[in-house]
Amino acid sequence: MKAAKARAVLALLSLCVLSIAGSASSSIPTDPFVGIAPEDLKYYKSSDVIKCKDGSKKFARAQLNDDFCDCPDGTDEPGTSACPGAKFYCRNAGHSPVLLYSSRVNDGICDCCDGSDEYDGKVNCSNTCWEAGKVARDKLRNKIATYKEGVTLRKQEVEQAKLALVKDEEELTKLKNEEKVLKGLVQQLKERKEQIEKAEEQERLQKEKEEKEKKEAEEKAEKEKIKTEEEAKQEKKEGEIKAEIEDIGVANTDHEKIGLVEDTPSDQNVEDDFEPLKEIENGDNAVSRGQQANGVDQHVVEDKDESVSQVSQKESEIAVEDVSRADQMTASGKDLSEDTEALSKEELGRLVASRWTGEKTEKEDKDGIIEDSEGEDHEETSKDAHVEDEDEYASDADDDDQRYEEDDIEDDVDEDVPVEDHYDTSSSHESQSDDELDLSDTTTQTSPSWLEKIQQTVRSILQAVNLFQTPVDKSEAARVRKEYDESSAKLSKIESRISKLSDKLKYDFGKDKEFYSFYGRCFESKQNKYVYKVCPYKQATQEEGHSTTRLGQWDKFDDAYRVMIFSNGDRCWNGPDRSLKVRLRCGLKNEVAEVDEPSRCEYVALLSTPALCLEDKLKELEHKLELMENEQPRPHDEL
Amino acid sequence: MRTPLSLFLLLSLLLFLSSCAVVLSWKKEEFRNCNQTPFCKRARSRKPGSSPFLAADVSISDGDLVAKLVPREPDPDQEDQEPPARPLALTLSAYRDGVMRVKIDEDYPSQESPHKRRFQVPDVIVSEFESKKLWLQRVSTERVGGDEGVSSIVYLSDEYEGVVRHDPFEVYVRERSSGDRVLSMNSHGLFDFEQLREKKEGEDWEERFRSHTDTRPYGPQSISFDVSFYGADFVYGIPERAASLALKPTRGPGIDHSEPYRLFNLDVFEYLHDSPFGLYGAIPFMISHGKARGTSGFFWLNAAEMQIDVLGEGWDADSGISLPSSQKRVDTFWMSEAGIVDAFFFIGPGPKDVVKQYVGVTGNPAMPQLFATAYHQCRWNYRDEEDVENVDAKFDEHDIPYDVLWLDIEHTDGKRYFTWDKVLFPHPEEMQRKLAAKGRHMVTIVDPHIKRDESYHIHKEASKNGYYVKDASGNDFEGWCWPGSSSYIDMLSPEIRSWWADKFSFENYVGSTPSLYIWNDMNEPSVFNGPELTMPRDALHYGGVEHRELHNANGYYFHMATSDGLLKRGNGNDRPFVLSRAFFPGSQRYGAVWTGDNTAEWDQLRVSVPMILTLGLTGLSFSGADVGGFFGNPEPELLVRWYQLGAYYPFFRAHAHQDTKRREPWLFGERNTELMRDAIRTRYMLLPFFYTLFREANVTGVPVVRPLWMEFPFDEATFDKDEAFMVGNSLLVQGIFTERAKHVSVYLPGKESWYDLRTGTTYLGSKTHKLEAPEDHVPAFQRAGTIIPRRDRFRRSTTQTVNDPYTLVIALNSSQTAEGELYIDDGKSFEFKHGAYIHRRFVFKGGKLTSLNMAPATSGNLPFKSECIIERIIILGHAGGPKNALIEPGNLKAQVEFGPLLLQGRSSSGVLTIRKPGIRIADDWTIKVL
Repeated sequence: MKAAKARAVLALLSLCVLSIAGSASSSIPTDPFVGIAPEDLKYYKSSDVIKCKDGSKKFARAQLNDDFCDCPDGTDEPGTSACPGAKFYCRNAGHSPVLLYSSRVNDGICDCCDGSDEYDGKVNCSNTCWEAGKVARDKLRNKIATYKEGVTLRKQEVEQAKLALVKDEEELTKLKNEEKVLKGLVQQLKERKEQIEKAEEQERLQKEKEEKEKKEAEEKAEKEKIKTEEEAKQEKKEGEIKAEIEDIGVANTDHEKIGLVEDTPSDQNVEDDFEPLKEIENGDNAVSRGQQANGVDQHVVEDKDESVSQVSQKESEIAVEDVSRADQMTASGKDLSEDTEALSKEELGRLVASRWTGEKTEKEDKDGIIEDSEGEDHEETSKDAHVEDEDEYASDADDDDQRYEEDDIEDDVDEDVPVEDHYDTSSSHESQSDDELDLSDTTTQTSPSWLEKIQQTVRSILQAVNLFQTPVDKSEAARVRKEYDESSAKLSKIESRISKLSDKLKYDFGKDKEFYSFYGRCFESKQNKYVYKVCPYKQATQEEGHSTTRLGQWDKFDDAYRVMIFSNGDRCWNGPDRSLKVRLRCGLKNEVAEVDEPSRCEYVALLSTPALCLEDKLKELEHKLELMENEQPRPHDEL
Repeated sequence: MRTPLSLFLLLSLLLFLSSCAVVLSWKKEEFRNCNQTPFCKRARSRKPGSSPFLAADVSISDGDLVAKLVPREPDPDQEDQEPPARPLALTLSAYRDGVMRVKIDEDYPSQESPHKRRFQVPDVIVSEFESKKLWLQRVSTERVGGDEGVSSIVYLSDEYEGVVRHDPFEVYVRERSSGDRVLSMNSHGLFDFEQLREKKEGEDWEERFRSHTDTRPYGPQSISFDVSFYGADFVYGIPERAASLALKPTRGPGIDHSEPYRLFNLDVFEYLHDSPFGLYGAIPFMISHGKARGTSGFFWLNAAEMQIDVLGEGWDADSGISLPSSQKRVDTFWMSEAGIVDAFFFIGPGPKDVVKQYVGVTGNPAMPQLFATAYHQCRWNYRDEEDVENVDAKFDEHDIPYDVLWLDIEHTDGKRYFTWDKVLFPHPEEMQRKLAAKGRHMVTIVDPHIKRDESYHIHKEASKNGYYVKDASGNDFEGWCWPGSSSYIDMLSPEIRSWWADKFSFENYVGSTPSLYIWNDMNEPSVFNGPELTMPRDALHYGGVEHRELHNANGYYFHMATSDGLLKRGNGNDRPFVLSRAFFPGSQRYGAVWTGDNTAEWDQLRVSVPMILTLGLTGLSFSGADVGGFFGNPEPELLVRWYQLGAYYPFFRAHAHQDTKRREPWLFGERNTELMRDAIRTRYMLLPFFYTLFREANVTGVPVVRPLWMEFPFDEATFDKDEAFMVGNSLLVQGIFTERAKHVSVYLPGKESWYDLRTGTTYLGSKTHKLEAPEDHVPAFQRAGTIIPRRDRFRRSTTQTVNDPYTLVIALNSSQTAEGELYIDDGKSFEFKHGAYIHRRFVFKGGKLTSLNMAPATSGNLPFKSECIIERIIILGHAGGPKNALIEPGNLKAQVEFGPLLLQGRSSSGVLTIRKPGIRIADDWTIKVL
């Protein structure tokens, strides 16, 4: 310290002397080798003429650190600020050495903890390396401890993943075999069933023919009699029915345009067809129909059935917007520019403000304009919230006429059980995975007997049923039908399981499959009023109360598996589709933290996971600590 | 009842139309055009020669020429034309340095007359101007041309005379010797003055626009007249609008449907890049320039809505009026809704003369602090303290200098200015101190709308004291802005301004520190639910002044009060920095302005140049456009080009809308980071040059960036150029305004050569050069015959550069000479006003570079000292091959070698460099190149 002070005084003095001499020189360091890293010293000391490292020029030893830039790359000025490209090395004994931009040298700000970057005497920097280094070393030690444990966890994880993957592969192979066999059986049953049906049909036709002949003879006489009186009446009625049917047709076209029907199961479709009819019967007019469509659409938008393509979602959103605009128009009867004249002063103020902010005004809310699917208009979905994330949920009904596909929901609830043990329970949960539908009887242990059983049954059926016997044996026919139905149901379940499994296996689980366990899981983080849910390989959402905003669909890993990217989330007003980048770091638990939105609708989050605790990195850290601990400060540098 | 099918068709139509609306988001229908503005429509339909006035009772009184303008006998054929009730009073005054002032107001019969007085804008004309008044002694009369009647002539200067022609009434300036006219008023007889009068039975004075009603209690009171500029090829000025530098005609043969240039301060959402429509500020000052005569200017001090037509050649063909001038001429037509005629005729004859004459009236631009001339980083919004810390750290991580970090409206507690959001900014002082530790400053926004919230101290005091602007019925005016329901402080009152200024003291503005400065936005004022998004014209200000009379000066007064606040805060010795969006003549005294909410488009980058040049011509030297474009997301290439050009804006700030993606310079890959860093560093490298130019503007009003014709007034090819501009007299900068440009054409004016700023390559003058468009910069050239001072070392911010050495770049002309200047002071205080500065003039002549002192010999008692040295002198275009340099005094030798022109970026072929002359910037010395 004393020495440093003396140096400073000396520097000041020499500065004064120089300026008196009229050739004031800036801050030429007393040590010609200042700012040079130890491993580089040889380069500078080896000869009297030194090459610029970029090979462009040479300079004399006297030009080293003479506060004048000679090399374009700054080779000649490692210890001054003369070259913009140069780097200054601070030794920082007791802490870690640092390479500084030359712009920091003698700028009056203490950058190196040993203060070596400020040698022109204008500021006095105390040496804080040992204390700062201690803090840094402790931090590093903690980090190393985490890494050590994390590396073990990661190994376990990787082992388990490998086993599980083998299991998945095995299951897939097995399922595929079963599928093959079952397909054959179903085909046979189908043929048999068709033959039976054919026979039955013949039987029926024969019967009908006989009855018809009988009836015709009876009716003929009677009809002849009434015909003349009824003719006029009859014609009129037919006309009415026709008109009604046409109306229904139009309504349905409209319905499809709004984008609702695509994914509706067929049984609903049937019912759905009756709806417009009901409405017409009830005398509902077209506008209220539009409003209902609007209400329905919000569910589609918010619940975002995964199987509905993005395109159709967008279409439906646009349609909703337009429907409501149309409503607005119908109400006001004015043109489509923002109808500011009809607004109250406050409404007008809010509306104009919203141009800059994109926040919705009360007026718009009232009219139900859905510019985006952000927060506010989600209340209505509250009752559906318990089936969030679910694919199979599709509501095609008005609010007062909701129908779920009950089976699927029950399945999902049943399946909401962890498959494996995980180290973390608090922050993550299994997504309501629908991979493992009720194929419990198809699982590895029981399956041979199961398949054999079916095979036997089928064999016996095929042998037992006499095809060409008429009349058809009713109980035999029923048995064939039942067996066919059951087998094909089984088949479609196996097929669906296969497709899900092979979809799963297509995902990138990392170099060592270390991310395998992320599949089908979600990690949650609560921040203020929001709950963020990150479901790798699926999606990420932000939930506020009952409303859910999708931050993105699973896209990919990036930056050598250090980042997970979710893209194409819900649309933002005047902005991009939402997206989320999850930066991964080593930690003992799978935990989401620090969700942030640095740009509007572009989210970032941090996820700690053992998957990132890499052995190489651990070695690197240990080496770093070793270096730091070796760099004991020389006694006179300490306070 | 609508059928579903037609509903569907309608939906498709709506979808189609709404997608169109995205492209044209300027809400044209919300703003009045001339036809919807009765005074403009009336004035524009008037025929030349219809002016009913003639001058009478001409005499000299109190050193002025005074006269009455009396109505001509009514034309018996036009019975519907109502004769003006009373005469008008005209006062013509002459001022030193070539300024003539003409005032025309109602002739109030006595001091106590019951009439409402028309509004004369106070507080704009600087007091020094009055001291320049020439005491007119006598008036002579003369029969000019073939006139039957006489004209009265007064002395303006040895070269010029002012003439009042009596019948028909006309005022003009002419050259004494030749009799050639310079500037004239009412030569086409379009002068009209609607006098205040009693409302007649059944008369309806109300005006309606959209849902708004203007009660207009004083009825029609507009003024209009024509002004002609002689020997002029083009006219310029009258900001603010996004349009070309040379103003295109708005009326005349071949021009259909064009609007006059409007001067009415408005918050225009997503303004277009080429439109005569007025934006945030208004300066009714027009400059003409032509080869035949040079430059003249006309300024009408009036704060009401103004509309100005530039009349295309042949517009008056049918009028039968022929002006006695064979010179090329530009005619213009000026209309204002209210106020009086207070017109200033600036004689020129050079471009810089006119600008000096104008700032002689309205005041010189303030000298900014050094930090304010550097790079500013802004975004709506840096969200919280952590965000601020991260952005700050990233600049250091990437070794990019910056001086100021800005906080937009979201930093406040619910848009209550002077407060902080307690969650996002819990430790504002600590945050500012952290920045200040790296020599950096912070700017927070303070807008003029005050949240109507009883718990908000500003509102409480303002409403209690009656400090708000009143509505037509006398209650506090309420409008809607960011905070919701708001009222607006009435800054016309000196007492209220003083109260406002006190709010900036450290104890009143809790959480502020000495490194905090201010941004005034929305001060047109922006009122979201007002007519045309502003305050109703019948709102009432201090002294019963109607908002219509004051409107264009509203932002000016707010800017003034805020600037005064910072002045008070710093005990009068800390130069204020206040950025304002709205402006008026005189705003240059209070701080910087920017061009408002532009858009991330190439066309908007392009139009930023004429916009900034126009502001500079009209006194507002310290101006810039948001780098990157406020709305939208610029492609990286556009952003980089914007940085490369923006580095030469006088005010250099990046800013972005809250819905845009983050766009700090390091977010677009390494190469783009490098390019943006390079652009920002170019600005820092040239800061000594810029700061010297800011001082020049401060002393003379000549702007930092200038149209080419200001430096080359005789080079006709420059007159309508507005893609390139001059920085000072030494540097020509050409923007690149197209995507993936391969080539760029640059016109280099004048007879001397130019040196590429990066490579030192020589280009001939008076030629258009087609150059390859470089990726790493926009073309910039140093003019032969100039010397530019630089600082080649980079720091985190300007604060750390104070001890760094200088580089001089000498660009020799064909006679091997060059000149340049360097101004230095403490960069912060007003000590420079007492002589605490260094001002050197460098002259290279006869192989010798000499440093001369330009500061007056009697420097004040607080001289400014600097130990800074010159580390490098670069000589471009030297004929010989010198080996040594000899320095006097001291007879010291310095080495001469070949070195790079720039220490970073593209390497040039070696340029002649005097290595380490080691001489101090503050001293007199001579270097002889041997």
